[in-house]
Amino acid sequence: MILELKDIHKEFSGIPVLRGVSFTITAGKALGFLGRNGAGKTTTMRILMGLFNANSGQILLDGRPFDPQHHSIGYLPEERGLYPKQKVLEQLMYFGQLRGLNSVQAKDNGLYWLEKLGILEHQDKRLETLSRGNQQKVQIAETLLCNPDIVILDEPFSGLDPVNSQILKDIINEMIERGSIVIFSSHQMSYVEEFCDEIVLIDEGNIVLTGNLKSIKREYGMNRISLNFTDVDAEASMDTLSNRIEDIRIIGTENGGIVVELLNGKSKNELLHNLLALDMNIEEFSIYEPTLTDIFVQKVGDEL
Amino acid sequence: MRNFFLVLKFELLNLIRKKAFRISTIIISLIAIIALTIPVIADKFGSPIFNKDDKPIEEVEKAHYGLLIEKDSIDLAALKLLLPHIDIVDVDSKEELSQSVKDGDVEAGFIIKSPVQYEYLVMNTSTYDSKQYEMDEALLALYRDEALSAEGIDSSTVSDIYNVPIEHDVEVLGKDSMKNYLYTYILVFGLYFIVIMYGQLIAMSIASEKSNRAMEILITSTSTESLIFGKVIAGALAGIIQFAIILSAAAIAYRINAEAWEHSLDFIFDIPAEVLLTFSIFGILGYLFYLFAFGIIGALVSRTEDIGASATPVTIIFMIAFFISMFSMNAPDSLLLRIASFVPLSSFMAMFIRVSMGNVSNLHVGISLALLIISTGGIGLLGARIYALGSLMYGNPVKFRTVVKLLREQRSLNSTR
Repeated sequence: MILELKDIHKEFSGIPVLRGVSFTITAGKALGFLGRNGAGKTTTMRILMGLFNANSGQILLDGRPFDPQHHSIGYLPEERGLYPKQKVLEQLMYFGQLRGLNSVQAKDNGLYWLEKLGILEHQDKRLETLSRGNQQKVQIAETLLCNPDIVILDEPFSGLDPVNSQILKDIINEMIERGSIVIFSSHQMSYVEEFCDEIVLIDEGNIVLTGNLKSIKREYGMNRISLNFTDVDAEASMDTLSNRIEDIRIIGTENGGIVVELLNGKSKNELLHNLLALDMNIEEFSIYEPTLTDIFVQKVGDEL
Repeated sequence: MRNFFLVLKFELLNLIRKKAFRISTIIISLIAIIALTIPVIADKFGSPIFNKDDKPIEEVEKAHYGLLIEKDSIDLAALKLLLPHIDIVDVDSKEELSQSVKDGDVEAGFIIKSPVQYEYLVMNTSTYDSKQYEMDEALLALYRDEALSAEGIDSSTVSDIYNVPIEHDVEVLGKDSMKNYLYTYILVFGLYFIVIMYGQLIAMSIASEKSNRAMEILITSTSTESLIFGKVIAGALAGIIQFAIILSAAAIAYRINAEAWEHSLDFIFDIPAEVLLTFSIFGILGYLFYLFAFGIIGALVSRTEDIGASATPVTIIFMIAFFISMFSMNAPDSLLLRIASFVPLSSFMAMFIRVSMGNVSNLHVGISLALLIISTGGIGLLGARIYALGSLMYGNPVKFRTVVKLLREQRSLNSTR
């Protein structure tokens, strides 16, 4: 399955919210859908789920127009979307039946996911009596109840402790392996890096970055070298490098080392020669790979 | 349709399971049962409300009036005969009489100056004071007797001539408003309460779904038409069930105690089928109409505490419809009620009153019903579209103008698709 969003435009009362959003998601891969608050992520997701129509643009699944009514979509909203005063299993069954399961299937699926998420003993409790983490697990169970083909996860790790986060990681990996389309939105970049092969970065309704995460990282790390020296602290080595070596720019420090950018066609070997000539005690000399946070801040953080 | 019934069942069970629903139903039913059992209870305690055996009711405590007759102007014994329910205390001076009134020994004092003149002494006057009227009547009777006797006329003959009873039979060819008034009043009042109660409840339920974001999951799971119609009809059914339980409890209690009531309330419980049918059809449609309106309010606010303020326009319109109907009950064929009986905002009450108490043609009933059905269906569909928009609108309550603008935008997008 390949889901394509093509040139989606949306405005509310004349104010543009999406200005030509295009990206592609392939089944069996997770897509990290990133952006600052108010960038247009939720609007894109809602258009994808058919909550409202775009002003223009197309959504295609395997080349044909996509109708959300005919596909099972699991949506995990950023904020809790359940009935606080209802019993856990009862509301799971209700949502399951609304999405087309019969009552037996809805109950079986509900119990399956409650057990898998380790909260089976809470099935007859009212949601509001559960801890925040367990409420999030009920929300996850509700999302996955109908074994959806397309899963949209908005901050799924919110409120989960490390043990529960691991359980959810395993579940997300299972879904990816099973061939579901997983759209993953989070501000916790480490999770996105862990799951997502592809990322889409949206800013003020425009897609500002899209592609394979590894390639993007490589591209952003191009001409940048990560250096670390024994016996000299980063500040002192930065002074030495900027005064004694030409055609480089100090980007900053990271993890106790320094990141430098090569300028005017200077090669890695030339830099290495320069460093050896200075008799600096090199501990690390590697191609710099930026974190997703670095890329995020660099692309959309200029207004911060 | 399947999802509509799923929503309906889920919402109805939620409403019925609520403690507030069960407790209020039980308490109101109990009050109705106890009220309708009062004659039996009163009998048991030896204070019957109905004087079954035509025996004189045991003398209640008599009122005490102080009386000072100046110059033997009237015959005290004759006055006492005319005021049998009053204990007349004869005093010798105005001072003694004033003191008795001040001390509360007597409720009032009268100084009879002549057969047609007296002075009235009272501690505090009240709006409902009838003591002077009683004394006026008694003195007038005494004076007439004496005057007629002086003329040699038998006063009892004159009294018979003046007080000859006129017999009459009434045959009501149209509606007996006297008889219909009470049950029409009760039904309209009942309708008023369930609309206000359940309207708030529906608005609250939708607003809380919005605030706890369950709405986002719901609208991605099924159509908004199933959701809004399921919710509103569930609310309507819960109200009807509650109303029916209370009415049934009252009717059963009355049937059991009808003898004790000497069947004096039969006319309330003996509602003609035609009236009940009109009430059911118009009442339910109007009830749904307003529940949809309250549902829309719920979808426009983000916090349950905003409902009160946002629902005010709907509540005011409903109150106006209610008061027009109630005040027109005395004139069921008035122009105002006739207009109100065609406007869907008020027709569910006004047309019911016209059918129950006035004269109205079947054609008019049909036209009014058609308008009400179209409006109720229309507001339901509008509610479904606004409900879908509700998930977009968080924060401050949304103005209706903004909603109309957004709906227009959505419609133009749909039509270009």
